[in-house]
Amino acid sequence: MGKTNIDEINRNIYDIKNKDEYEFKIKKGLTPDIIKEISIQKNDPEWMKDFRLKALEVYNKLELPTWGPNLSELNMEEIATYVRPKTKLNNSWEDVPEDIKSTFDKLGIPEAEKTSLAGVGAQYDSEVVYHSMKEELIKQGVIYTDMETAVKEYPDLVQKHFMKCVPIYDHKFVALHGAVWSGGSFVYVPKGVKVDIPLQSYFRLNSPESGQFEHTLIIVDEGASLHFIEGCSAPKYNKVNLHAGCVELYVKDNAYLRYSTIENWSKNMLNLNTKKAIVGKNAKMEWVSGSFGSKISMLYPMSILNGEGSKTEFTGISFAGKGQNLDNGFKVIHNAKNTSSLVNAKSISKNGGKCTYRSLVRIEENAKNSKSSVSCESLMLDDISISDTIPVNDIKTDEVEFSHEAKIGKISDKTIFYLMSRGLSEEDAKAMIVRGFAYPISKELPIEYAVEMNNLINLELEGAIG
Amino acid sequence: MKETLIEIKDLCVKAEEKEILKGINLNINKGEIHVIMGPNGSGKTTTANAILNNPAYTKTKGTINFEGTDITNSKTDEIARKGVFMSFQLPEEIPGVSVTNFLKYAKNKVTGEPVKIFKFKQELKGYMEELNMNSNNMERSLNVGFSGGEKKKNEILQMLVLNPKLAILDETDSGLDVDAIKTVSKGIEMFKNNDNAILIITHNTKILHSLKVDYVHVLVNGKIVKTGGQELANEIEANGYERYKHKA
Amino acid sequence: MDNLKLNETPIRTSRNFNINNIKLENIKIPDTINKFNNIAITGNSSLISNNTSNIKLTYGIEEELINQIKEHSNIELKINCFEHEQMQVDFNFDENNPTLLENIEIIANESSKSTIILKYKSQDDLEYWHNGLIRVNAKKNSEINIILVNLLNMKSNNFMSIENNIEENAKIKYTIIDFGGRNSITNYYCNIIGENSNNTINTIYLGKENQLFDLNYIGELRGKKSNIDIEVQGALTDKAKKHFKGTINFKKGCKKATGNENESCMLLSDTAKSLALPMLLCSEEDVEGNHSSSAGKIGEKELFYIMSRGFKLKEAMKLMVRAKFNKILENIDNEELKEEIIYEIDKRLD
Repeated sequence: MGKTNIDEINRNIYDIKNKDEYEFKIKKGLTPDIIKEISIQKNDPEWMKDFRLKALEVYNKLELPTWGPNLSELNMEEIATYVRPKTKLNNSWEDVPEDIKSTFDKLGIPEAEKTSLAGVGAQYDSEVVYHSMKEELIKQGVIYTDMETAVKEYPDLVQKHFMKCVPIYDHKFVALHGAVWSGGSFVYVPKGVKVDIPLQSYFRLNSPESGQFEHTLIIVDEGASLHFIEGCSAPKYNKVNLHAGCVELYVKDNAYLRYSTIENWSKNMLNLNTKKAIVGKNAKMEWVSGSFGSKISMLYPMSILNGEGSKTEFTGISFAGKGQNLDNGFKVIHNAKNTSSLVNAKSISKNGGKCTYRSLVRIEENAKNSKSSVSCESLMLDDISISDTIPVNDIKTDEVEFSHEAKIGKISDKTIFYLMSRGLSEEDAKAMIVRGFAYPISKELPIEYAVEMNNLINLELEGAIG
Repeated sequence: MKETLIEIKDLCVKAEEKEILKGINLNINKGEIHVIMGPNGSGKTTTANAILNNPAYTKTKGTINFEGTDITNSKTDEIARKGVFMSFQLPEEIPGVSVTNFLKYAKNKVTGEPVKIFKFKQELKGYMEELNMNSNNMERSLNVGFSGGEKKKNEILQMLVLNPKLAILDETDSGLDVDAIKTVSKGIEMFKNNDNAILIITHNTKILHSLKVDYVHVLVNGKIVKTGGQELANEIEANGYERYKHKA
Repeated sequence: MDNLKLNETPIRTSRNFNINNIKLENIKIPDTINKFNNIAITGNSSLISNNTSNIKLTYGIEEELINQIKEHSNIELKINCFEHEQMQVDFNFDENNPTLLENIEIIANESSKSTIILKYKSQDDLEYWHNGLIRVNAKKNSEINIILVNLLNMKSNNFMSIENNIEENAKIKYTIIDFGGRNSITNYYCNIIGENSNNTINTIYLGKENQLFDLNYIGELRGKKSNIDIEVQGALTDKAKKHFKGTINFKKGCKKATGNENESCMLLSDTAKSLALPMLLCSEEDVEGNHSSSAGKIGEKELFYIMSRGFKLKEAMKLMVRAKFNKILENIDNEELKEEIIYEIDKRLD
């Protein structure tokens, strides 16, 4: 039972509910038998089955976090962890069943594929239903496929990297993920190959009282580069859904990876996602993140700067409305000489929503001559909302330049008056200021996504301001 | 017969519980340039804010009519859309919103018509050249990191683009060097015609050297104590406000 | 020998970040507590009594330590400020006075304006125990200026719990000089409840050898137009460690409140460690909160400049540390005390 039913504004396209039709939906709950059944259904190799069972053991041993949002409403007994849609993996949209295709159509995925993407993956509930990539990338040796195919066709690469960056012991929901993971994307960019146009995977959870546990594993080999976009949404149900995905990124020496996310889960979703990157010598990892959906979100992407001269940037925004508790942030470990990190985090709280920026910057003793600069800004749109900033700064050596700045406040009345004196209504003025506030993030996104983000902001502001 | 543009009657205004304007009367006709002068704290900026009905100021008495419509309690944006513009003494900074996008949006709101982007950009460029503005500023965030002079010129640019019926210029000349004042005056001349009017609010007379004005009002302690022509401004430049202070 | 877990932050975060509390192992909590006699009071002693009120704290450093004060305090001071009072209390630790458990209560009565200096000092190198509690109530329109000076040696334990309440238009200003102790743990809480009430905290700390500082400052803004300013400047050398946890909490109703927090740590050795958690919590819209935090070594250009004027590296470093601390030291009116603090900075950095 969901604790509260959240009143919600029209989220139009995101809220299209298809009938809960599937080929197979596993029993609710978590037992070794259920895990074995998932493994059989997915036709896992033996090592993967053993891995899942081991992860379940760890899951049962670990406690819920003692900090952050209250997760007591999550009852795993009520969640189906595996839902196979009524179709196989396709590489042509024509072959995707009509109602599923039409959902992705309305989300603009096939259109974006034609105009601005080098490859697309689309997941519906627990399985990837579509995967395709431009011919020239295949010729260059780029691999972009669903995770299941990767397990079978690239066993060495997968076994060497799978849940090595994010071990199942990290926290309870990573262990859960290890036990029930399904779907997700695998990308390998060979040495020196520069993929100029982004790849995108889109994750859609349609089935009520279920979970999505996709696994994304990306290896950008030495000197290669990639921009990967992840999108996610779900229609709204009255009971909680769970998303516990896992993203593992390996950015090898001199490589470059940008990982962009527009997260717009429905507001009955518990988004307990884990993302981590290991960054090699002189490599660069960039995170761009827009967090709009979910009832509860706990998401702290992490960069581990293991290589000398490696760099990372995080640019993110969270927008919490009524009934939402978005506990997001960023973690970085400086673990080698001459590393640098740059963080620009923003949040907006309105209509009783709560945003928390929770972060860690750790500069280890060996990370001489490292730099870190963090800026956080929080905007309060009314006096019933909450905005907290909880940054931990752990500096273990002296040859560093570290600075952290945070600001919290509301839109100034003077600024609103200034804009209104130019003919803008109060609502327009506030919306313009909020869009401007979010601009440093939207400008980092490809144009279609920047537009989508602005639309989301307008959608979120509708009815909230005035 | 001149057409009245704005008519202010017996206006009393409070700000933060303090009475600031104590009965202002002012008529401005189309085609006129008026100047309100007065020492610091006399209520000049309050007058401008009251016309645009800034919610930080409370009107306790009096009315404001604009082209025959009562705008005393209208919302700021409605007043702006009727054709009143105010150049701010301290323009606000809006991060993430470019000058072009902002003006395009405001122009659309004021005219109620869609703005053709190519033509609009040409127009903007033309004005910026006239005002000696760096055209790179078009894509910069509105007023963010602008120097004092750039901000003031940007206000004049907005006035030219939005083309109001009444432009209120609040201390537009303060803190500017001689060249910048000339540029601002040039902008005002470009704007001025027989169908619109200007209300200049200032505490010094520099900008009046390069502009021909019709009326000068002396505002002291919340009241207009004297009205005259350009010669009144010259007189104040020579003697200051001392002799008017006892009148209020 | 006891293990203590103390100085919990008001909001927890991931355990892996090691900042929710601090654990001290093998701490010898003294069980026999004798009188503390080496105390010198200057100022109007008629303001002082020993009838302190019951101890009820919102936070406090740790239960066992607070209970130790409740049950065994060996100094009870209630200071009632009425007009413009100046008072200094010196606690001098020595062989015969090794343990101090003081319970201090300060009442700044309406419209009073006072300065109180509390100085804790040890002349030798024995292991001392200081576990103190200071409670301050600033009534309407009062101003109270409190200067805490910890000049204990490097073997002692220094625990301090501070709780304040500020009424309408009242001000409490703290200047905290935190230099001494093997462990120096401070828990500071302020309820900034009155309209227009104001709290300022200026702290400098200086750590060397194996010193550990754990500063947990919490300011809750409740009054309209209330304000808090926290400024913490420190320097760490050798293997010294500092944890700074600063929380500014804008509570519902504190319209137009402002809060600023600025924390900066100079690292003078590559084994010194600075951990900081500057929190801003906000459940009110019309407020302004800022915090900034920085860490790093002394700028090489500045060092070079000073050395080019004939200073040795160590002297140049001392000069830079003093320069950094100077802004906060300026808050101390008492020249003699200021001299003493500067002398301690030089001595401790030798």
